[in-house]
Amino acid sequence: MGADVSAPDSGGHKKGPGVKKQARKDTRVDMTPMVDLGFLLITFFVFTTTMSTPKAFNLKVPDDSAKDEEKNEAKASGAFTILLSKDNHVYFYEGQLLPDGSNFKSSNTKDIRTELLRKKANTPVKDLVVIIKPNELSSYKNVVDMLDEMQIAEIKKYAIVDIDPGENKLIQITEGSAATTPAQK
Amino acid sequence: MSKLNKIPRKSTWVDMTAFVDVSFLILSFFMLATKFKPPEIVQVQNPKSVSSENQPENDVFKVSFDKDGKVFISFSPDKEAQDKAQQTAEVLSRQKGLNLTPAQISTFKKFSIGGIGVPVEKLPGLLNLTDDEFKNFKQPGIPVQDSLNNQLNDYINALLTATGGRKPENVMLNGDNGTKYPYFKNVLAAFKKNGIFSFKLITALEGIPEGTPLYKTHNTKK
Repeated sequence: MGADVSAPDSGGHKKGPGVKKQARKDTRVDMTPMVDLGFLLITFFVFTTTMSTPKAFNLKVPDDSAKDEEKNEAKASGAFTILLSKDNHVYFYEGQLLPDGSNFKSSNTKDIRTELLRKKANTPVKDLVVIIKPNELSSYKNVVDMLDEMQIAEIKKYAIVDIDPGENKLIQITEGSAATTPAQK
Repeated sequence: MSKLNKIPRKSTWVDMTAFVDVSFLILSFFMLATKFKPPEIVQVQNPKSVSSENQPENDVFKVSFDKDGKVFISFSPDKEAQDKAQQTAEVLSRQKGLNLTPAQISTFKKFSIGGIGVPVEKLPGLLNLTDDEFKNFKQPGIPVQDSLNNQLNDYINALLTATGGRKPENVMLNGDNGTKYPYFKNVLAAFKKNGIFSFKLITALEGIPEGTPLYKTHNTKK
């Protein structure tokens, strides 16, 4: 009330002394809680988000019920057989397995790629066929890894076939001997 | 003492505006980029492959098998796949004499998004569970062990009968790294028996190793 009387034209640009005296408030706001909350939400979204979207790997399998004469016979010279066993063990042989098992070789998931590429380079494209034989101790990962190797080496003809008892026995013998001589690893 | 007091006190106030700007930028990025994980009934660790094809989202029939060899089937939540789930349940109910009620069939649709993994004869029992009970229920998996009692075959057969023999667009296999090969073989056998020979395996992306033939073709294509 008193201010009105002392400053009758306070509505104009001429400011009264009372207005000038009003303390300037600091416009800075404490942002710490806001940052806290912001980062809390960030961590929440980081953990719930699925960044790596799964991919689809196409697989086509042959019809087993096809008659025998319709089946493709693999040329022995172009055949490359990969055997998969437990603990990611990989074995392979080229062509047909010799009765004494002398062309049966041990490998691993990394070295098999160089073997495949070597075989691919030495074999006519139409003859090359890779046969993947997983035994019952190998895992799904091993099989998919081998299918993936086919993609990497661009091998067009490959098949997943059940393992022969003879081959399985050979694996067991090799693994048995490997267990007694751990220096091999 | 008096000399020490004369050192001018610096303000500890830090300007956080830039900090807030950045943090909210990241926050908005994650909020927009995020896609919530669907409720997973089956816990699997997918193997890696060089395939870079994105997995389809619609009209998916998925068979999952975890590291213990438990097999589950699931349908994607879109309408087309859900219609097929409904028809599959109806056919299965008819073929196996389960006498599922319409309520149970709609529960089948709902549960099929997460994954159904029970032998056919236990299906009515599973469909009587509430949502919470279903989440905590340990499903035994669809038996595939021996070729005589490969019940995945029954499920796939019901699906094909429901669609009039038309093969589902996207058959996906969602396997765990540690699953033993015979389970995978039996799952494949069930599909083969029903005349399905084309699959999409769900894998995680892996870089193409340098110097390999695929690496060369990939780079010349660009």
